[in-house]
Order: sequence, then structure tokens, then C-alpha cells
Amino acid sequence: MKRSIALGLALLMILGLMSCAKDETGPIKVGVLLPLTGAKAKFGEMEKNSFELAQAEINASGGVKGRDLEFVYEDDTGKPDVGRMGMEKLITVDKVPVITGGYSSSVTFAAAQVAQKYRVPFLVNTGSVDKITEPEAFDLSIGDSDKFYIYRLNPPVSEYASGLEGFLKYVAPVKTAMIFHENTTFGTKGAKAFAESCSKLGIEIQAISSYTEGTVDFKPLLLRVKAQNPELVYMISYVMDAALLMKQSKELQLSPKLFVGAGAGYTMPAYRENAGIASEKTISATLWHQSLPVPGATDYYNAYITKFGDKSPPDYHGVEAYAAAYVVKDALDRASDMKSASIKKALDGTDMMTAFGPVKFIAYDAKIHQNKMETYVVQWIDGKLELIWPKHLAKVTPVYPIDWQAEWNK
Amino acid sequence: MNNFPYLEKREWIILAVAALVPWLFSFSPYFQGLLILVLLWVVLGNSWNLLAGYTGQVSFGHAAFFGIGAYAAAIPYHHFKISPWWGLVTGGLAAVILGYLLGKLVFRLRGPYFALGTLASGEILRLVFGEEEWLTNGHNGIFYMTTFISKIPYYYLILLIAVGSLVAVKAIMNSKLGFYFLSIREDQEAAEALGIDTVKYKNISLAISAFFAGISGAFYMIYMGFVDPEVVFALHSISIITILVGIIGGVGTIWGPAVGALIMVFVQELFRSSFFGLGPQWISQMHSLVFGALVVVVILYLAGGVVGDWDIIRKKFAGKVLKARG
Repeated sequence: MKRSIALGLALLMILGLMSCAKDETGPIKVGVLLPLTGAKAKFGEMEKNSFELAQAEINASGGVKGRDLEFVYEDDTGKPDVGRMGMEKLITVDKVPVITGGYSSSVTFAAAQVAQKYRVPFLVNTGSVDKITEPEAFDLSIGDSDKFYIYRLNPPVSEYASGLEGFLKYVAPVKTAMIFHENTTFGTKGAKAFAESCSKLGIEIQAISSYTEGTVDFKPLLLRVKAQNPELVYMISYVMDAALLMKQSKELQLSPKLFVGAGAGYTMPAYRENAGIASEKTISATLWHQSLPVPGATDYYNAYITKFGDKSPPDYHGVEAYAAAYVVKDALDRASDMKSASIKKALDGTDMMTAFGPVKFIAYDAKIHQNKMETYVVQWIDGKLELIWPKHLAKVTPVYPIDWQAEWNK
Repeated sequence: MNNFPYLEKREWIILAVAALVPWLFSFSPYFQGLLILVLLWVVLGNSWNLLAGYTGQVSFGHAAFFGIGAYAAAIPYHHFKISPWWGLVTGGLAAVILGYLLGKLVFRLRGPYFALGTLASGEILRLVFGEEEWLTNGHNGIFYMTTFISKIPYYYLILLIAVGSLVAVKAIMNSKLGFYFLSIREDQEAAEALGIDTVKYKNISLAISAFFAGISGAFYMIYMGFVDPEVVFALHSISIITILVGIIGGVGTIWGPAVGALIMVFVQELFRSSFFGLGPQWISQMHSLVFGALVVVVILYLAGGVVGDWDIIRKKFAGKVLKARG
């Protein structure tokens, strides 16, 4: 028995050593932190598919400096502590010089601290809480651009609803609203930002209520809608809770003028799949739509559904990952060597067009290394996610006002 | 042996190995991180074992003490920028106070009701800490840029705490106090009939148990630099895993929790990382399943845990399978 324990230990050590082995001439490894299992796996899956799509394209056209690009995935399971461990593994075991990915706000922010500590550049593609690109949250100041290793492709959550403001002002002026949000950082901050938008637009907030992701019975929350009759219901949710909220709204036959989602769950194909007819005519903020006049947007969309099937077409999450892959490639191309510090310098100088839109890391307000972007509004019309705002880009007219009874009894 | 600190020769050897191990893995902070996790679970397992294994009060809510310890380190930092390192002092104390208050409620209950009472305590704290944003920053959690990049200082700190908890449990179980605990576990009425103040000694057991759980929580904050209620008050990831560490290692044995922690952390990580990235991806997708299977096997065939049923295991491996135990 003693011998087998010794053997086992020796084996473990060898395993540890082997995973440490580093190859200088093989593919350039880039770390990707995503939720691949757990409740947020649907998002992780779409983003991973998109990274793989980009990896195949990049390598088919010569890779980076003649070497192949290889994404190394680490599963954060949607939990901040696991995310931190995954980040540490990417940096110290896989020894990747740069990391991208980062889905949910709380995981991304926790993991970003690890990247910052080790001084490995981390290009966040989805994690949206504002403080991720605010150096103050990392004990640094605005002037510390040289010391700050975090970059972000997507707009912060406080700007998610900016496109929606125009829509509510010109198309659907409502007077009262109720906000439901999942209770982690993403939902809490998103609810605050939307409440500010409302006060700007003169919309009265009747209630802001939070719930824990994984809740299955939303009726106690939704009955408040029945009691107080707000004209707008704004919801910040990941995908399964988004679907359940709408399904149960349908069961309760709620009929505010608008159901609006804050992106995240509400633009995902899995939302449509799970909510079914209850998702019809719901509106959501979004950061991207395949019909936008951005070079490569439609190509990416088509390539994705060709490879992964048209049952689950990509939304903004997918294109964020796809664009992040190209931003990393671009930085690696320009970097003088494959060291983290050189890649960080190259990221500072990023100024390029991606399928997601133009990418450039700038400083504004309390943020640095933040890409600034417009946001849009989409609506599920006949099972398809259509761009309805801003008006000059939209090819479809929004369905408003909505006859919920007729919709749900179809 | 009754000399302080109550360690036998082979236990000194294990300690010496534990003190050297991080240097063997100096090339891999990731591996050192795993070892730190093992030791963290040793502390939690020991803490639970004293209360459940030796005193017979099966707690399903150890996350309550772990979490309060973590927040005792985090809240002063969040509001007043007081270093979380003070948590090593305040964390244990906060947990003892919480233990005393909870004890008043849950020690009225016995058996499964006690278990449910502790479980509910942990869950209530999780919800309260999630909602009271003014105090705890709610679900946003509290962050702290950790002090050291190297894992070595953390390793020795948690090694010290783990050894402290082991020696404490061993010393207690060699003392009169330990016999009181055992008598309460075996039969509360009989213990009382012998003149043992069961309420008092259950509270003492809980206080010591909570103290170590609280310190481990504070260590978690210092080491991870992050707490949020879903992480530190987690029913599954903390309370239940604590119990499993005890069960797999061996309930009511000195070295059970240590062995349990070693097995739990490595099995979990081996599968989560698909054998350190060498196996196919699908292995990582079934890590929860494997974990569950391990627990089932231990409960069915090794009810005493790896340490408690060491004789059975040894005989099986030696090819001398004995039908009956003992």
C-alpha cells in the first residue's frame, strides 16, 4: 500500500511537470476564461464556438507571425473563486502571455484582479460591470495606464440601456416602470443604471426587486406587476431565468405595454428555445446585430450558423468573443515579442475594425482601456431577433403597441 | 504519548513532509494553490469533526462560521480600509460569538432537527449578507488586492492553522473534556445522569469548532482576496463539502479530516481540469458525477471513512479479504 501511495504521488508530480512544459516554437497559446459548465454554460458555449471559429480562420490565413494561434480554455463554472483559480492556472501552468474571455461580471472582476496581480494583459469581452476598467477598483489611479493590464471590448453595463433611452423617448413613451434583476453585480448595477435612465426620461419607478439566479418560481415577483400595473417591465437576467420570467408572465397573463430585457439572457437563442411563444415581441437592449452596417458582421453570422447550425444563431455575446480573438491576434502581430509586457503595449495601440464594430481602448470618466460603443434595441418578431432601433439602422419597424392577449393565445 | 503537543513520531514525519512539500512544487504556484486548498479543508474538516464526529452534534451549517470569519476580515477592510489580516484575530472571535448565539437556538434541537437547524442558520446568513448591501456590499462581494504574489507565505500560514487545529483536537480528545464530548455523543441522557453539564460542554465544543472555522474563513479572505455571500456561505460548496471531507476521511478520527481533505481536493481538481489538461475535455464535464460516485462508494463500503476503516482497506489490498470487520 505504501508503495502504491508513493507511486501515485510520483505520478501526480510528473503530471504537474508535464503540464508545465513550454513550447517556444509551437502554437502561440492564448488563455480564455469562460463558464463552460453550470448555469451560464450557454453563454460560454456560444463564446467558445466563436473563439474556435476565429482560431480556425486565423490559422488558415497564416496564423500569427507564422505560428498557429491556440486558445486554451479554462472553465470558471460561473463562480468567482473558481474563476480566480482558473486564471491562476492559465498564468502559472499554461503560461499564456495574454488572456481573453470573461463572461459574468462578478467572475470577470474577481479574475481580473489575478491578471492584474501577475501583470498579464486580460482583454475582457463580455463581463460588463463598470469597475472592471476603473483602475481605482484595483488600487491604481487613472494615470496608471502603464500599470493597468485590463482591457475591455464591450461597453460597461451602465451604458447598455443608452440605446433604449432613444427608443423609449421616441417610439414608446411610458410613464411607469418596474425593474426585476438578478442579484449579483451585473444585475444590481444594471438596475441602478436603468433607474437613472428612467429619471432622465421622467418614468416613475414603482419597484426594484432582485432575485437569485436559479430561482424557479417568479410568481411572487410577477404578482406585483399584476397589483401595480406598470407600463414597462425591465428585466436583467441570465438565460434560464429570463425564459422562466417570461413564461410565468404569460401564465399570469400580465399585460404591461412593454417587456424589456437588458441584453444578456434576452437576446440568446436559448431564451427563445426555452420561453417559446412567451418570448414573442419582447424587447431587449443589445450591443450588436448581424444586420448592422459593420464589415464582417453578416459574414461572421453566416459562418457561425454554417458551422454550428441555424438552431442557435449567435447574438452579441458570440461576436464579442469572435472580435476579441481578432483584437488579440492584431496585438500579437504588432507586439515585439511574446512577453506579456510587449503584448500589453500593443493592446494600448489597438485601433481596428472588427465584426463587432470599431475597437480602440480609450480613457473616459473613471475608466481607462475601455472600448466605447453604441448600443441598440432588438425585438423578437416571429421567432427572429430583429434590430428595431436606432431608426436609421433598423430594417424592421418595431411592433408597438403590443396586443399581449393576441400574442400569447396564438 | 501525553507530552505536549501530543504528536507521535510518524505524525512529526508527516508534518516535516508538509513543511517541505511547497518547495518541491516551487515551479508551480498552481499546485501550491491546491495544497493550500487541502490545508484549508483540513482546518474546516477538523472543526466539523470535533463538533460532529466527537460530540455527535452533526452540523450542516459550517458555512455560517466560515462565512462570518471571512466577513470579519472583509467588512472592516471594506468600510475602514483596515487590513484583512486582522481577520485572523477577529474571524475566530466573531465565529465563537455567532456559535454561542446559534447554539442558544439550535442546541434545543436534537439529531436531524439539529442538522436542519444548523443548515437553516447558514442559509439565513447567506441571504442576510446578500441583502444588507450597506454593510456587506451585498452580492457585489468585497475585493482586496492580496498581499503576496508568492503562495509560500499563505501555505505556511494555513499549515500553522491546520496543525494548530489538529493538535487542539488531539489534545482535547486526550483530556477530560474529550471524554465529556464522547459521552455526550454516545448518550446525552446517560451523560447528564453522570453529572455532565451537557449544554455547557456542547457549547464549548461548538465554540472551539466555530473558532477554527472562523479562522479558516478569515484566511480564505486574505488568500483569495474576494468574498461574496454565495461563495463563503455556500450550502453545497462549503457546508456539505465540509461534511464530505469528514465522512470520506473518517468521522471521529484525528487524521480523518486531513486524509479526507487531501482526497476531496485532488479528486475534484483532477476531474475538473481533465487530469491537469491531459485527458479529453469531457472528463471535466463529469467532475460532479465522479465526485458523487466517490461519496456513494465511501458511504456504502467504508462507513468509517478511509482512516476509520483503514484496516479493511489494508486487508483488501493485501489480498486478505475478510468478510467480517474486527
